Amino acid sequence: MNVLMPQLGETVAEGTVANWHKKVGDSVIADEIICDIETDKVSMEIPSPGAGVITKILVPAGTTVEVGTVLAVIESGASASAGAAATKSAAPAPQPPAAATEAPPPSWYAAMPPAMSEAKEQYTPQASTSSAAPTQLAVASTGGPQAAARDTHQRLSPAVRRLAAEHRLDLAAVSGSGRNGRITRRNVVEFIQTRQTTAQAAAPVAPVVAHAPTAAASAPAAPTAAAPTPATRAPIPGPAPASAPAQLGTSVPFTRIRRLTAEHMVRSKVTSPHVLQAVEVDFQRVDQVRKTVRDAWKAKHGYSLTYLPFIGNAVCRALLDYPHLNSSVQGDALLLHPQVNLAIAVDLGAEGLVAPVIKAAEKLSVAQLADAIADIAQRSRANRLKPDDFAGGTYTLSNSGTFGTLITAPIINQPQVAILSTDGVRKKPVVIETSEGDAIAIRPVGVLAQSFDHRAVDGAYSAAFLDRVRKLLETSHWVIDV
Amino acid sequence: MAQLTYRDAVAAGMAQEMRRDPNVVLLGEDVAAAGGVFKATVGLLDEFGAKRVKDTPISEQAIVGAAMGAAMTGLRPVVDLMFSDFFAVCWDIVANQIAKTRYMTDGQVTLPLVIRSANGAGSRFGAQHSQSVENWAMTIPGLKIVAPAFPGDVKGMLAAAIRDEDPVLFFEQKSLYATKGEVPDGEHVIELGKANVIREGTDVTIVALALMVPRALKAAEMLQEQHGINATVIDLRSLVPLDTQTILREVAKTGRLVTVEENPRLCGWGAEISSIVAEELFWDLDGPIVRVTTPHIPLAAANNLEDAQLPNPERIVASVRQLVD
Amino acid sequence: MPISAETRLKLYRSMLECRVLEKRAYDLFMQNLIKGTSHLALGQEAIAAGFGMAMRPDDYTFCTYRGHNHTLVRGVSMTAILGELMGNSSGLMRGKGGSMHLTSVKHHMMGSYAIIGAHLTIANGAAWSAQYRGTEQVAVCFFGDGTTNIGAFHEALNFAVIWKLPVVFVCENNLYMEYTSIHDVTAVEHPAADRASAYGLEPVLIDGNDVDVVYRTAQRALELARRGGGPSLIEAETYRHGGHSRADPGKYRPDDEVKAWLAKDPLPRYRTRLLQMGITEGEIEKIEGETQAAIDGATETARTAPPPPLEIADQDVWANGGSAWRN
Repeated sequence: MNVLMPQLGETVAEGTVANWHKKVGDSVIADEIICDIETDKVSMEIPSPGAGVITKILVPAGTTVEVGTVLAVIESGASASAGAAATKSAAPAPQPPAAATEAPPPSWYAAMPPAMSEAKEQYTPQASTSSAAPTQLAVASTGGPQAAARDTHQRLSPAVRRLAAEHRLDLAAVSGSGRNGRITRRNVVEFIQTRQTTAQAAAPVAPVVAHAPTAAASAPAAPTAAAPTPATRAPIPGPAPASAPAQLGTSVPFTRIRRLTAEHMVRSKVTSPHVLQAVEVDFQRVDQVRKTVRDAWKAKHGYSLTYLPFIGNAVCRALLDYPHLNSSVQGDALLLHPQVNLAIAVDLGAEGLVAPVIKAAEKLSVAQLADAIADIAQRSRANRLKPDDFAGGTYTLSNSGTFGTLITAPIINQPQVAILSTDGVRKKPVVIETSEGDAIAIRPVGVLAQSFDHRAVDGAYSAAFLDRVRKLLETSHWVIDV
Repeated sequence: MAQLTYRDAVAAGMAQEMRRDPNVVLLGEDVAAAGGVFKATVGLLDEFGAKRVKDTPISEQAIVGAAMGAAMTGLRPVVDLMFSDFFAVCWDIVANQIAKTRYMTDGQVTLPLVIRSANGAGSRFGAQHSQSVENWAMTIPGLKIVAPAFPGDVKGMLAAAIRDEDPVLFFEQKSLYATKGEVPDGEHVIELGKANVIREGTDVTIVALALMVPRALKAAEMLQEQHGINATVIDLRSLVPLDTQTILREVAKTGRLVTVEENPRLCGWGAEISSIVAEELFWDLDGPIVRVTTPHIPLAAANNLEDAQLPNPERIVASVRQLVD
Repeated sequence: MPISAETRLKLYRSMLECRVLEKRAYDLFMQNLIKGTSHLALGQEAIAAGFGMAMRPDDYTFCTYRGHNHTLVRGVSMTAILGELMGNSSGLMRGKGGSMHLTSVKHHMMGSYAIIGAHLTIANGAAWSAQYRGTEQVAVCFFGDGTTNIGAFHEALNFAVIWKLPVVFVCENNLYMEYTSIHDVTAVEHPAADRASAYGLEPVLIDGNDVDVVYRTAQRALELARRGGGPSLIEAETYRHGGHSRADPGKYRPDDEVKAWLAKDPLPRYRTRLLQMGITEGEIEKIEGETQAAIDGATETARTAPPPPLEIADQDVWANGGSAWRN
């Protein structure tokens, strides 16, 4: 049996062994005094809990130990078994108390029992939905790598609101690192600091392929040097760290649209290994048709008939024969879409890019397509597009040619696998073959450049598609029903 | 600088003031010969004699009433009420008489008295001997209320309480009596009404009192090491007068407030502070104000039950983590 | 030692001043110039006057909410008392305490207390303080018969006896608590005197309407306390002419009882005794005239005083004059 340091006062935690009346090997009877202890100015004699022989004395006189510590061990019965006299001065670990003595006051930080549940009374964050808010952007992800869930309930704390008001911030431009995307006070403070230090934004984490026109527009049949990057989901780069060093120049903070565009462009490039292929198209026949109907068309429809509906029509017809370019990558498979929902990129200027969709465009004539394009363009500018207008696109036309550019390497509108840029159409000398031999003619020529997702198709497939598009544009017998 | 236990700091504070002012007297049950049931007044009878250190019968109304009468007429009595739960036995004298008499008499009466008591839980005394009753007193205008967490503050604030011309309820936490801490040598007085920022952080401000202060500190450690959350910890120390400015200043820095209260849920001091912060610092708050408290139930006697009821570092950590995003 | 004529005249004057004060308070209440509640001690003047005369100026008075007389006999002006009852700036506490809390520390009148029994324990404290400081001051504590059944009474008596405090406990037994006869709710016949022996005290039961008896008893008790003989408990039988408070017409008392006690009204009784002792009608009438003039003057002054300034409403919670609980 163990002799323990008792608790002599309710709030007493320690005691000192003053002296031992017995030594190892001594016999004792029940209640015989074996030692004196002192705790906080109270002295007490400790009786033996029973009859036996003292086999160990673990705490020497003069030592202070915690309440509950084993001071000595008594072996009951007559045998005087040789117990090693432990004369170590270090206090042994406290043992569980014998029946009579009180447990010592708890050590607060030891393993704690389960706390009382106060779920009702404690703060619990709102359960929030994680669906991304529908955006107005063409390249907004309609699938693919999930964006960090936006705080759709826009829980702006008082501190956030006040700072935004004081600094005239558009909170749409601030991304939130709090729970469920909440914009925290720190996010706003850092945003303001970044603005104030006029630091250049630090390079985003994910690799970004330069979105620049390539001079050498050769469209090799083989895959290009843009080696396929693995479809890893790199993290979306966060806001620039506030500690970026001050630099020259003016900092223009991203608007919400700009920021969302940036994020989606990066995500698209990271998802799809982009390959650029281009063809030059002779728009002579298209021009002739356009010229023929120009005035009547303008009078009736109120807008000019451009190249775009012709290109769109050719693309839709070509996609019927090259369906893999009208698809989406889903894991290890390609989902071929049953119809061509043609997304038309519209530049709204400060409002950014949008890409409303013309559903089942393959069923539309050039004239119908022209009307559909005009309609969505107009509604885009009037901000009357509905979420449904953005849903379900399967291929995108990006009309970059307003300013007469030569070629553009567009970024795929996820989760599609290809996008076609139509650049400037301008008169150029071309070589034509006649029965009299080669001659030079002046023709309206424009480059159609397709970025395709090399996961879905290879260069030959894409090239054949482009060739088909070109042939359709150059040789179709266009009949326009004004 | 000396290392004293919390209980020895009480005796040291008493002795310091009794040496200084012959009008300081001590009365209560078992305070003289026995040195107090919590051994917090050991040595005072020996040093100052039976005229100044007096054992009383079990008569809380008579004891506290006598202190009031003596304080009205030139003495500076310190009452040892033993268990703060016993305030319920003499609450008339405290709430109706002591708290109001100066006001009712248009300032004629001054009551420089101190009522010390052992407050709070953690020692398995059961529901009637473990309450945190400082909030009872906080609802009565005219009483100053302090509750130190560390021995240095015990001595310094007890000295200030005794020197105060107004009635002060001095709450000692009974489970802290054996804890040790640094106490400065020489005359030591800490002005009442000053909170103490004992840990500076950036993410959340935790305000705690008495026994909850070491637990809040432990929680702050855990938050830092395990969750990268850097917490400010304020030892409130004084409920009336309340150091509102320190609280507001520190919460403004982090935007988040958590109070840790040993009292049962309703109407604790944390509710008052929450209200003040919500009203005066609304536009600096980055999240709701959270109170960690004992649930609104009497305290149980068994080890594990009482431990589960009082806020512990784990529960403080969990509450902070829910709040800090 | 016989009581001198001079003292007797003072005693009469003192009782008369109490009487006219309380009557005036009654009248002013009826005119709605005194608001709230007021507890009049009409009929109990002899106890206040007798003790007031025997006490040293630095002895302490503690009394209940029925304390206008006890305040007056310590030297507080009629104006200040009426002003406090009327709640204006001429009041003893400028209207902050009201009728039930009349206090004048400079007169050593340490307060009127509205919670039954509390002030017995507080009077002990003042007595202890006097004992500690060695000043031979005595605390005198007045209370009613109902107080003898509350816990604080018993705690205070025991406490006073074991510390041998210089305190005199005076029970003004007017036979009724609020509306209930004391006999119906007390285990013993004489609510205070019959409890004295439980605390080792001599039972003292006196005619509280005979100011000479009160005066002599007071002298004895004060002397005992002053020389370190400890506390006394005195039960003085008396009767209040009115109800418990102004709102109470006292109709619960039997008519013949009321009649019998009115016949023992301390004032006419003492007037007769003075005349019997050879004091002239003229001297008595002079006192009566002066007293009447005093109360009329006080009434006028108190009545026309302005209301208390609003700023005192939140002053003097703390010793520094303020009330702030936070910074």
